[in-house]
Amino acid sequence: MDIRIAVTGLGWVTPIGAGREEVWEGLLAGRSGFAPVESFDTRLFNSHLGAEVRGFHPEPFTRRQDPATLGRASLLAIAAARMALEDAGIEPGEDPSWKPERAGVAMGTTSGEPLEVEKLDDLLLAGESEKVGAEFISNYPCHQIATHVAREFGFAGVNVMIPAACAAGNYALGHALDTLRSGRADLMLAGGADAFSRITYTGFSRLGAIAPERCQPFDRNRKGMIPGEGAAVLVLEPLERARARGARIYAELAGYGLSCDAHHMTAAHPEGDGAARAMERALADAGARPEEVSYISAHGTGTPTNDRLEVLAVRRVFGEALPRIPMSSIKSMIGHTMGAASAIEAAVCALAVAGDLVPPTMNLEEPEEADLDFVPNTPRELPVRIAMNNAYAFGGNNASVIFRKVEN
Amino acid sequence: MSARPTVVVTGAGVLSPLGDSPEALHAALAEGRSGLKPIELFPVDGLGDGLKAGEIRPFEPRDYLGERNLRPIDRTSRLLLSAAQRALDESGWTPELRAGREIGLVLGTTFCSVKTISEFDRRNLQLGPSYASPFDFANSVINAAAGQAAIWHGLRGLNSTISAGEASGLLAISYAAQQIRSGRASALLAGGAEEICYESFLGHQRAGRLGASAPVPFDARRDGFALAEGAGLLVLEEGGEARARGAQVLAEVLGHGSAFDPDGTPEGAARALARAVRIALEDAGTGPEEIDALSAAANGSVTGDRAEAAAIAEVFGGRAGELPVTAVKSMLGEALGASGGFQAVALLGTLNTGILPGILGLERTEEGFPLTGASAATRQVAVRRALLTALGTDGHACAVVLGAAAGGS
Repeated sequence: MDIRIAVTGLGWVTPIGAGREEVWEGLLAGRSGFAPVESFDTRLFNSHLGAEVRGFHPEPFTRRQDPATLGRASLLAIAAARMALEDAGIEPGEDPSWKPERAGVAMGTTSGEPLEVEKLDDLLLAGESEKVGAEFISNYPCHQIATHVAREFGFAGVNVMIPAACAAGNYALGHALDTLRSGRADLMLAGGADAFSRITYTGFSRLGAIAPERCQPFDRNRKGMIPGEGAAVLVLEPLERARARGARIYAELAGYGLSCDAHHMTAAHPEGDGAARAMERALADAGARPEEVSYISAHGTGTPTNDRLEVLAVRRVFGEALPRIPMSSIKSMIGHTMGAASAIEAAVCALAVAGDLVPPTMNLEEPEEADLDFVPNTPRELPVRIAMNNAYAFGGNNASVIFRKVEN
Repeated sequence: MSARPTVVVTGAGVLSPLGDSPEALHAALAEGRSGLKPIELFPVDGLGDGLKAGEIRPFEPRDYLGERNLRPIDRTSRLLLSAAQRALDESGWTPELRAGREIGLVLGTTFCSVKTISEFDRRNLQLGPSYASPFDFANSVINAAAGQAAIWHGLRGLNSTISAGEASGLLAISYAAQQIRSGRASALLAGGAEEICYESFLGHQRAGRLGASAPVPFDARRDGFALAEGAGLLVLEEGGEARARGAQVLAEVLGHGSAFDPDGTPEGAARALARAVRIALEDAGTGPEEIDALSAAANGSVTGDRAEAAAIAEVFGGRAGELPVTAVKSMLGEALGASGGFQAVALLGTLNTGILPGILGLERTEEGFPLTGASAATRQVAVRRALLTALGTDGHACAVVLGAAAGGS
């Protein structure tokens, strides 16, 4: 018999705030996280806006490790993870019903700890390679994000980083789902994290992908994405176990699907092939039909090509049902938080399912597809039984995840 | 109720410091040859004298990949693409088959290419953003090699990159096996890839992880590992489907397990690996008494090797001393994400020939060292089931049980 998996906690750190309530209220209010970049000089770039996390203090969240010794993405991830565990009412180490060896971590990222390689580069260019110390290897490799999260909470089970770029959060959720379903863990922290970096900013700038003023997914006049940073972690556990301990259950993590375009490193398949296969697999895994989906959390970066090809792909899967299904992109508010993006959006799906409320696509004035419902500019109350979270990445890595309402 | 899907190995491909085929790699290991050479990939000025690493040299990607444009593809990806070509050829996954059926890729890597990332950043700083290439940026993501391999070879199935330090490769094989068992995929390339570059070398040296001389796993004189590079992949398929297409079956993935040491101590690492091994054995429906050989993770690390031996001793109890043990990193070096792939590919040769390579340089172990079946001598061992272990410096432990093909040697 299949084990069903519940989402019982979530935590996030985003450009519009931190913690479940603050971020959710911000998303429903259409708050913008964009501002001129502060963490490095953008004078040589054509664009200057970013979605940085401002005023983040890791100290309340790191209790077993010295925050001064950890990279920024690790710190963001630990903060999100601690908030998620508190949200789930779980105190690792305090409660003997949680065995550390049955608790694991699956994280996603695009760049790992890019600020650590930037420090290395600064030293190399200054001719000061002798100042490179042990911290490069203890911080830079992307798996250290998962390492640091697990050390913080003493989690001794499955521990893995899946660096599937901008779809990585969904990949991590999928692996956590399989790990729990196959009985290899009782508790998984799954999510994604990325730190704002000049490397990422330079890259997207060179791809001509950064919007000059605002992010307008699905708008006819959209001009691009805006790079951001953040982290989100979801607490996942078997549904029966969650019920037995009286946990609040946001949603069931009901299925996922992966595919690869095998087409182009930075551009999606021209017919939406891989994206469609990922969605179809996720639906099949969840045992759901396309017309049963109540809400789609879009990848929706705001670049001209992404949004066009994404619409093509969802049309392939949902056909005539699509105009009746609200589909929004919160990247219109918090930008593209890279490896954190799909994890943040997964938390949105869980809250949408729990609260029958979906966040809007902001800055949407002239929808490119007149027949589709992008939830323009104001949030919507509606029964959300099934939510689908879509994410697409460099390397043609596609991942869709499905959340379903849990009836009492 | 239908039987649980089985996961079989139908081919392998490898680019290693000791050869570019599974047979060549196994033969070189059996002969006790070292793949470590003086470093030529980058200037070693100021890093020390007599430094060696497991470089792949010469490496001519066109020998494997033909005349298509390789310019936008970095070294890690070239190594991976080459090994993947070999694996696809050997397993009969022709372009025609790939056009009709999906095959995917699960790739273990630590860095993908920190060289590509670092150079992109430094070019931007030195010359300005307009000199930073978008092609290089596309390769800067850690799933870049897996994505490039998918594009090059038409791998439309699931494509996942797995990072867990030195355990990445075995964890990738475990992840792939789980995907096949759960019916999410029927054919996957699985293993790892890593390159040697200045940035990685400098970092590992400053972290005190590299030895002053050739690595001697499990030897009392060990003082660290040597870095290596390459790519090693298995072709994993659902057993029924593999047989239905008439594929050769080289081995079977019988079980896998993983765990983590959150304490960052040698004792914690030993506990984590012991748990991973127990989970893998239970998953394989077997016990220590049915394991005929161990391909150890030991790479010459002072604490890591000791923790690994302690873990095996804990699980195997009195049998630990009888267990034939090899440690291929004595000859290959530590290839980080590629190591698990190397271990698995090399073990296919042992399953096929019964020849278990010795541990190069092993002369004297510490007092009370429990794995007395670790030896410098290559020997003949009847192996029906073998255990592969991985133990990363940061606490990631993984174990995989491989079995000989049913009716095989």
